[in-house]
Amino acid sequence: MKRLSFNRILLLFIISLFSFSCSSDLDFNQANDLKLEPIFVANLAYFEIPAHEFVTNGIEHNLTVGSPTVDVFNDAFFKKHLTRADLSFEIDNTINRGHTLDIILQDRNNQPLYTISFNIPAYTGVANSITKTEIFENGNLDLLKSTTKMTFVLKMLAGPPLSENSIGSFKLRSGVTAYLIVQ
Amino acid sequence: MRKIILLFILFVSVKSISQNKQLLYNFTSVPQSLMTNPGADVTYKFYFGIPLLSGISANVGSSGFSAYDLFADNGVDFNVKLGDVVFSTTRKDRAAINEQIELFTGGFRIRGGQDQYDSYVSFGMYQEFDFLSYMPKDLAILALDGNMDYLGKVFDLGDLNVKAEMLTVLHIGYHKNINERLIFGARGKIYSSIFNASSTKNSGYIYTIPSNVNIYEQVIYSNLQLNTSGIAKYDDEDYNGDVAKDIKNKALFGGNLGVGFDAGLTYYPKKNIQFTASIVDVGFIKHTKEVENLTYKGYYKYDGINPKFNGGNTGGDVYQQFKDAIPLDTLHTKYTTWRPAKFNSSIQYSFEEERSTDCNCTDYNPETSYKSAVGAQLFVLTTPRTPLIAFTTYYRRKIFNALQMKATYTIDSYSYKNIGLGLSSNFGPVNFYILADNLLEYRDVSKANSLSFQLGLNIIFKDK
Repeated sequence: MKRLSFNRILLLFIISLFSFSCSSDLDFNQANDLKLEPIFVANLAYFEIPAHEFVTNGIEHNLTVGSPTVDVFNDAFFKKHLTRADLSFEIDNTINRGHTLDIILQDRNNQPLYTISFNIPAYTGVANSITKTEIFENGNLDLLKSTTKMTFVLKMLAGPPLSENSIGSFKLRSGVTAYLIVQ
Repeated sequence: MRKIILLFILFVSVKSISQNKQLLYNFTSVPQSLMTNPGADVTYKFYFGIPLLSGISANVGSSGFSAYDLFADNGVDFNVKLGDVVFSTTRKDRAAINEQIELFTGGFRIRGGQDQYDSYVSFGMYQEFDFLSYMPKDLAILALDGNMDYLGKVFDLGDLNVKAEMLTVLHIGYHKNINERLIFGARGKIYSSIFNASSTKNSGYIYTIPSNVNIYEQVIYSNLQLNTSGIAKYDDEDYNGDVAKDIKNKALFGGNLGVGFDAGLTYYPKKNIQFTASIVDVGFIKHTKEVENLTYKGYYKYDGINPKFNGGNTGGDVYQQFKDAIPLDTLHTKYTTWRPAKFNSSIQYSFEEERSTDCNCTDYNPETSYKSAVGAQLFVLTTPRTPLIAFTTYYRRKIFNALQMKATYTIDSYSYKNIGLGLSSNFGPVNFYILADNLLEYRDVSKANSLSFQLGLNIIFKDK
């Protein structure tokens, strides 16, 4: 008799274990709401021109131009998902001459779309770095996404003459903060 | 589609959790226990499984998060929940799915002659599906947050560790009672892989640190490879074959083939003390047909655009440089995958001896001569990283002659509160069994980290 009741209790216990089961409400359609909003930082451009490179055979050349192609912003992925881009620039001039720098964003037909301009004073012995951040959103951003070339136009302003032994340099570094939305 | 792929990459699964069949192991009233130890101490004249119903097992598991954490219908934004899951897990956490269905199975006894003990043959075929993924934590952080807030952090591309496979297995086992105390068994297997995808040997890193020369020092070193077999042609737009027919053909040894074996023993140092051990699925599959390997291998240090003044318009094709440095290559190189090997061992003490009329009392089998037993089991599974180890204690009891029960308590790296229960009933020749673990999780299955069950229907003929 004792044995029988033990077995009954065990059976009841087993049956109850299998019957007390439930589940909270789940909604798998939420996966459709997936929205990734990563923010990436990266280098954009950099260069350093030593003072003596502005002089060739004793003659100063005051205009320096470079036009690299830019193949990132018009890439299909960025065109689709980039929602904002902050372009930041930092310029250190240690040459005792002032400069102007225009960075011209151009499309595939070489048409200028947007210009970022800097006025850089001559170096007087005190560190004098110039920083600037350009924010591209909405309409501006479309200009950036059409950009396939960046032209750097560096003009050296009048001042004490440079020689091939002059010291100092003109240095630029810049980065981009890219705000993406993937959904 | 992109979302599905992203979710897939984030949460595809493992089988590791599933592979521990602690309830089935050494539960010898169920013939399928031979699949966990070919040297299990079974007794039957002959048996066969009801086709497709004899062995059904499934397991879904994840460590570190549950379906509820991600998909709870609680008004919290899905992306918030996703972020919480990613940040609360580690690269060691994993998700797993494993499913097995026996297509057919059977076995028969070969009577020993004079001074000879019986031996048994068992055979069958089953289909298996496995999924294993570790949490690709660093990649998930990059996708969710980007790198802005992680200057100085080295993102580990080795976090990506995924495999998936569907295969059929044809097997035949032989099991010999050497003497009344010792039983040996072995099983040969032929694997036929229907499809395989594995990306388990990845390495590499991505980092961004502030720099004096440039704004940042940015480096990507990538050594990523995905091997697939039996998949590539379905990705082709021109494919117009019959997928169902292909699968059937591959299931019947038209796929990529492999071989393997199981081995095991049961030993009785004393009549009421039993020791068992087995190793299962020591084998490999050679993938030679319909193979496609995708690789991203290379090193790239990103400096940004460096305009060449007065030197034309060079210096800016950085994106192209990146794609050239770390190209996506498609290769067709044969590869080999090893089956996840499983090691089981148990020690059992039996008590409440009974001498019922239907029992062969010279038999050592504790399920026929003892009402109760307690024991402990050890399980080890090989994985792409460190082996998974589980420890189980159990209580087995014959409730009636027709009903056997096994209750288990298992500790492993996923859970310290895994209680399982198995029942095996024999009404006439009909054997029905149902085994389920993580019973405490059934209070709310959506919050469970792991659930598994096995059930099946066999016809067993024993000596009267």
